[in-house]
Amino acid sequence: MDLRVPSGWFFTLVGVILLGMGVFAPHVNAAPLTTENVNLYSGGCMLAFGIFLLAMAWRATQREKRSNT
Amino acid sequence: MKLAPVDYVILALYFAFVLGIGWRLRKSITSSGDFLTSGRSVPVWITSLAFIAANLGAVELVGMAGSGAKYGIMTAHFYWLGAIPAMLFMGIFMMPFYYGSKARSVPEYLKMRFDEKTRAFNAFSFAIMTIFSSGISMYALGLLLHLVLGWNFDVSVLASAAIVLAYTFLGGLTSAIYNEVLQFLLIVMGFAPLAILSVGKAGGWQGIMSRLPPNMTHAWQYMGSPTDNPMHVEIFGMVAGLGFVLSFGYWCTNFLVVQRAMAADSMSAARRTPLIGTLPKMFLPFIVILPGIAALALSKMDLGYALPLKPNGGPDYDQVLTTLMGQFYPAGLLGVGLTALMASFMSGMAGNVTAFNTVFTYDIYQSYIRPGAPDRHYLTVGRVTTVVGVLLSIAAAYVATRYNNIMDLLQLVFGCVNAPLFATFLLGMFWKRTTAHGAFAGLSLGTLAAVLTLASTTAEDKGGWIANIYTFRSQMAQNFWIAIIAFATCFVISVAVSMVTTPRPDKEMEGLVYGLTKVPHDATAKWYQRPAPLTVIVVILLLLLNIWFR
Repeated sequence: MDLRVPSGWFFTLVGVILLGMGVFAPHVNAAPLTTENVNLYSGGCMLAFGIFLLAMAWRATQREKRSNT
Repeated sequence: MKLAPVDYVILALYFAFVLGIGWRLRKSITSSGDFLTSGRSVPVWITSLAFIAANLGAVELVGMAGSGAKYGIMTAHFYWLGAIPAMLFMGIFMMPFYYGSKARSVPEYLKMRFDEKTRAFNAFSFAIMTIFSSGISMYALGLLLHLVLGWNFDVSVLASAAIVLAYTFLGGLTSAIYNEVLQFLLIVMGFAPLAILSVGKAGGWQGIMSRLPPNMTHAWQYMGSPTDNPMHVEIFGMVAGLGFVLSFGYWCTNFLVVQRAMAADSMSAARRTPLIGTLPKMFLPFIVILPGIAALALSKMDLGYALPLKPNGGPDYDQVLTTLMGQFYPAGLLGVGLTALMASFMSGMAGNVTAFNTVFTYDIYQSYIRPGAPDRHYLTVGRVTTVVGVLLSIAAAYVATRYNNIMDLLQLVFGCVNAPLFATFLLGMFWKRTTAHGAFAGLSLGTLAAVLTLASTTAEDKGGWIANIYTFRSQMAQNFWIAIIAFATCFVISVAVSMVTTPRPDKEMEGLVYGLTKVPHDATAKWYQRPAPLTVIVVILLLLLNIWFR
């Protein structure tokens, strides 16, 4: 099992959830000491990281296929 | 602090993924070697991250943030003076013997190099330590979740233990290691925003420096006298006690972390495991310590934030991390932060349980209870031991609820056991004249010296059961000096006894001792795959960090 696949999916899903919170509910349960939309920024970073891991795993699979043929 | 439904969704998603990884890996377990040692088949990037994640338990995470608020940037010495040099030493000098000897555990290496009694001493003491360590971590997490979120202690402890049990039972060490990597990534992703937000709110590093006393923001400048720095430790105690004995003792001999490197798929990968691990490890203080320092600065600003207090009115440093999360994380990110906290607990507990089941199965059961059984039998024993290990950990967690000073005791036991053990390994690996009797005598008397030092000195009203011949200014200083004395005693006694007893013939120690072992040099490897260039890069970065925060 390529660990980048489950890790990539996990961070992609969490990133989407946070992005959704940041876009659609930026003021729900807001934190007392920050006015920044931290869900939006953190969600974006996690989504990008998740996609990066999935892309790396996909590239490794393609390489393996090429070397097998 | 109150969680929103979205926070529970993120927590549930995480549990589903860790269990899914365990379920997926169950098919790859066909022998005791697969279950207990991963069949030595794990890629190096995974073993490297697992190597540092196994040490990143909830107690460490919460404790480091608390220490940041209590001691300031000096806390980073645990990383920049202690862990990183020790990990470099482990990768360059010690891993060739661990991996090359084909030992399945640290106690087994001791048996190969010395004899059965030295292995037994280490196996039993390590098994007991891991169970208590795991139980106390569980207790700390249950207590924290109860205090911060109002969750039921029993439910928190039993549910989190059940999840760790499920994925380690299914996929063994490989499952624990794979999950540790996911947990490590989650810890970084979950706590990095807290560091950025809290430090930013405090006005950046310059703002923190302007609000705190200078000895809280300088790691080296106030080390001249113990009265000048918040840890109340002098430079020799810090460098020799923490930087050398305790850190090297932990990172180079504790099977909990060594096991991750031994699971690598080649000798080269095993050596690079701690070396690559140093790169993320040296930047962890920015995520785990800096928020604690920022919390102290924030408490001095007019923001309505104050350090959490204990019932007696003193600061409760253990709650610094969670109160900061409550101040900076909205619903959603709060769920990620809480999940990261749970992940840290699980990575620490799984590390302890997988180390325990390997040592019990190979070094206790196979050696003393039933040698020579078919491998299938040891696989079953490994699985049963995993269940027993988790049950014993739960029992230890409940024991901890009855004794409020048990964590201090455990920390002391670590010092008493690991510090002399490092002297035994140092001599065993690098001086072929060291004999089995010398090692055992040194180890036993070194441990005894540690206990006697505690019993005859005091610090913060602790210790001094027999007499009080010296009073340390802090428990930290006392711990460092206990380690120094234990190490020195073990070293001297081992050398003295070895000189008057008969050493083993060189032929029997090939692959186990420096000078009798061919250390591999992979000439075809790319530069970044060789230990030497990696070490140079790490040392340069380490020097820069120490100079910057001097």
